[in-house]
Amino acid sequence: MIIGSLIALAGAGCASGQKAAMIGSGDPVADRQRLMKNNGANWADIQNKVKAGNIEGVAVNAEALALHAQRITLLFPEGSLTDKSKAKPEIWQRWPEFQAAAKNLENRAGTLRDQAVAKDAAAVQTTVTTFGRDACGTCHTPFRVPPLQQQPAQPRS
Amino acid sequence: MTLRHVKTGIVLGSLVALGLASSATGQSATKIWSSDPVADRQRLMKLNGASWADAQAKLKAGNAEAVAVNAETMLLIATQIAALFPEGSLTDKSKAKPEIWQKWPEFESAVKTYGMQAEKLRDAARSKDQAATEAVAKEFGRQACGTCHTPFRVPPPQQQAPPQPQPR
Repeated sequence: MIIGSLIALAGAGCASGQKAAMIGSGDPVADRQRLMKNNGANWADIQNKVKAGNIEGVAVNAEALALHAQRITLLFPEGSLTDKSKAKPEIWQRWPEFQAAAKNLENRAGTLRDQAVAKDAAAVQTTVTTFGRDACGTCHTPFRVPPLQQQPAQPRS
Repeated sequence: MTLRHVKTGIVLGSLVALGLASSATGQSATKIWSSDPVADRQRLMKLNGASWADAQAKLKAGNAEAVAVNAETMLLIATQIAALFPEGSLTDKSKAKPEIWQKWPEFESAVKTYGMQAEKLRDAARSKDQAATEAVAKEFGRQACGTCHTPFRVPPPQQQAPPQPQPR
């Protein structure tokens, strides 16, 4: 009986949890770098749209950020620090803070999305202005090795 | 919660065991989504629809290169689709057809096709080739969306002319 339910639950776990976290390569460093590149590209798209006055168009990218944010922590399993990774060991030393930083991105992106859906140009502008520091920086500052030459943030796609 | 524990007392032990097993792998695996797979997949597919709409708008504006981000977003999302259709997740809010679970390998391969088409779209966009990107986009609705929606999704009540997907 117990074995039966174990198998059933394991099956359910596979279906809902684990697979959902995977991007597919089996290499968490490559997977998270790919995810974060798409985050960066969505962020660049957001900035372009705001510049062009396309406030409503920001929503789709903000929602992409919000959904991607939910996958971040799953892509940092313990022991996944390779020489290709820019992750700092602090991630695993202060895991709850890392989790909170990822959640913060999800929340900020959700706010931005809602403001864009509401076509509130002023609110979107304000959120975008502080997004680099309040959403990206909250995690990148404590938990990521800075890029070789720290350019004054001009995100690329 | 208590009620459930009373009802399924035998299962409880294995639940605990599994909980331990999954925390041992360092994954709070189940936390990625809400506990409602129908809501989760509908949210996911709405983002897909909105990304596709954004891609089309950019193409129309002659900005093929900018389509790449949307295509890559769709591609990343595609890897999550099948996992959000656990067996028994057919509620009255869902537009899923039971055929999904009757013909699961076909469903999986439809999802895979979708991913491959999104990849084609992304690569065409990255090459900044407007004509090539348009060519992939032209087939996208039928080949990428339709391959899955036609056999596996109940059609919307009234099929409007090109519906304007809302980015939400």
